[in-house]
Amino acid sequence: MPLRSRAWPCFPQCSTVQQVVRSEGAFVLPDHGRGLILKSMSSPPSTTEVKLQRRERFRAYMQAFNPTAPPQDAIEAGLVCEDLHGSLFQNLAGRADLEPGSQQLLVGGVGSGKTTELILAVRWLQEQGHVLPLYIDISAETDLSSLNSGALLASFGLGLTRRLWEDFPTLRQGMEALQGPGKAYGSLKEFAYGTRQRVWVPGDEPPEPEDEEDEDSWGYYEVVGIPGKLNPPALPVLSRDVQEIRGPLEQFLAVAKDGQKEVMVIFDGLDRLLDPTKFWSVASQDLRLFRELKVSVVSTAPLSVLFGAGVGQSVSDHFDRVHHMPVVAVDPKRGLLQSVLEKRHGYELLRGFTPDSVCEYSGGVLRDLISLARDAAVEAYIAGHDSVTSQDIENVAQQLGTGYLRGLGPEDIKILLHLEKSKSFDVSQAANVELLVTRRVLEYSSTDFRVHPALLSVMPSPEPKSA
Amino acid sequence: MPDFSSQPFVEIAQRLEVQGAHSWLAILSSGGDPTAACDDLGTELESLLQMPVRVVSLKSSSFDRLREQLHQPEDDTVILFASADLEAGEWSSLDTMRSALERTGPIVLWIAPDAVAQLTQLAPNIRSFIGSSIFLAGPEPGIMSDKERENRLEELRQHYQLSDQEIVRRAKAKELPPEPHFVEWLVLLGRGDLV
Repeated sequence: MPLRSRAWPCFPQCSTVQQVVRSEGAFVLPDHGRGLILKSMSSPPSTTEVKLQRRERFRAYMQAFNPTAPPQDAIEAGLVCEDLHGSLFQNLAGRADLEPGSQQLLVGGVGSGKTTELILAVRWLQEQGHVLPLYIDISAETDLSSLNSGALLASFGLGLTRRLWEDFPTLRQGMEALQGPGKAYGSLKEFAYGTRQRVWVPGDEPPEPEDEEDEDSWGYYEVVGIPGKLNPPALPVLSRDVQEIRGPLEQFLAVAKDGQKEVMVIFDGLDRLLDPTKFWSVASQDLRLFRELKVSVVSTAPLSVLFGAGVGQSVSDHFDRVHHMPVVAVDPKRGLLQSVLEKRHGYELLRGFTPDSVCEYSGGVLRDLISLARDAAVEAYIAGHDSVTSQDIENVAQQLGTGYLRGLGPEDIKILLHLEKSKSFDVSQAANVELLVTRRVLEYSSTDFRVHPALLSVMPSPEPKSA
Repeated sequence: MPDFSSQPFVEIAQRLEVQGAHSWLAILSSGGDPTAACDDLGTELESLLQMPVRVVSLKSSSFDRLREQLHQPEDDTVILFASADLEAGEWSSLDTMRSALERTGPIVLWIAPDAVAQLTQLAPNIRSFIGSSIFLAGPEPGIMSDKERENRLEELRQHYQLSDQEIVRRAKAKELPPEPHFVEWLVLLGRGDLV
């Protein structure tokens, strides 16, 4: 058992041996009752101050290179290169602002930086003054695996009422007029969360003679649940359902207009629907109504909507603009990826060739870049290095590559080896699209596909052809 | 076929500690009873990180339930236990709800070694968050050999220019300064009772 409740006379402020050592900046192992093993045993004694300084240096670096921290935090901390994708966020926001009711799609692979671009777009729109941009991560609000038509409208309606109420006290009078039974807000909530209704169920048998004076008795009433759009669906999707919410939404949009605010919506999270047909079945009806309501929409979509037989075309036909965020090319001359490291003060721990090496292994996938830079520093910290070494980077690149390698069958390996050799890749094949979606293959342009470098570094070599 | 690096629980804790808030990491169970090993990890992390640790099973967990579990509270450590029988649909659902899982406290995904394929194939958004932080649950480092113990004691003696007897005397007299190396020294001498 770990030592938890022992009193330590030398250190009256601490109740456990772990606290004793942690309070002094070191690390102790519990030992299941066999004594104690201290982490510092393998290193020579050094002053506590030096250890603490080292830890603080690494921690500051980790804070800047946190691939899972909310992008909002990184933006606010000034750690984001805003022109990395040619100011894509301004293109998105500008078009949404200039063309009310326009619909744009932002397509990119996992970890390509879509959310960051969307949040930058929201910030830009807010700065314009007359715009009320609603950022909605639909995947955080509802279970996408059981999402149905109407869910985007429901989320939008609830988000809009919340923002109007919280951020615009002067509009509350107009909002209050829409509350109460049978009013817009009630309809919106019922649409989102569902309701219970008393419905007449006709009976199978004619009424008994003694009941004949009651003509209604040939059947009975039953209370049934009408599910909301943010709950798992149980009813077939009807466009009539979607139309029902038009009136209430129009009333709230009118309130926003009274406050000189033009409402726009940015949907994040729809890229999690890896299957493009699922994406389209969820989005199509809702988007039609948004266009009718003249609400500009920007939405993310999975990379697979661009590829695969027939799907890409049907999606692009329905959007005014489809923005593709390809992987950032690993080009030391332009140094885009290096600028990401520099912006986050990566050169505090990355020295010599190591920044270029991190960029190379990331393949230009931004989250992989940040993740590799962070994890290499963790390796360095644990190994007792003062900065990141080439070996630290090799270790984490192998870990990343091994993760990509798992689950690949011989056929997949064959495709990847063929791509590496011939540079050709058929995106109409379902198996190839899967390799793109899972990031084993990276897309640098519509004609330039490559195997993820971390995966390539651990892939088995092709067997030599027998003579 | 290359394999993932094997890490004892203490190094896993150290990684989580240095990574700070919002960290994600995956641990592959390495034989034996995965439930018991997962509980052991929880106990060790709680002790080493000095923060509460909860084990949350992913099997048959709904979106709303999981979201609530991860956010109430949201600053402790959560080990998401993926049993070997987690089905493809459950992996996909987990992937689509990644945003709902995002929290301040660390998340450790405990999975069977074979499940890395499913993680990469069916949950690319979760895998992307985990990055290269996938480790095999390694054996805990053993007790030091007598030689290692003596070498370390000699390092301490030379560094502080003190003898073992002097350390014991000062500890008994409660004159030792609050320095972790003295704790270590006493423990190596088998006098942890004086700490």
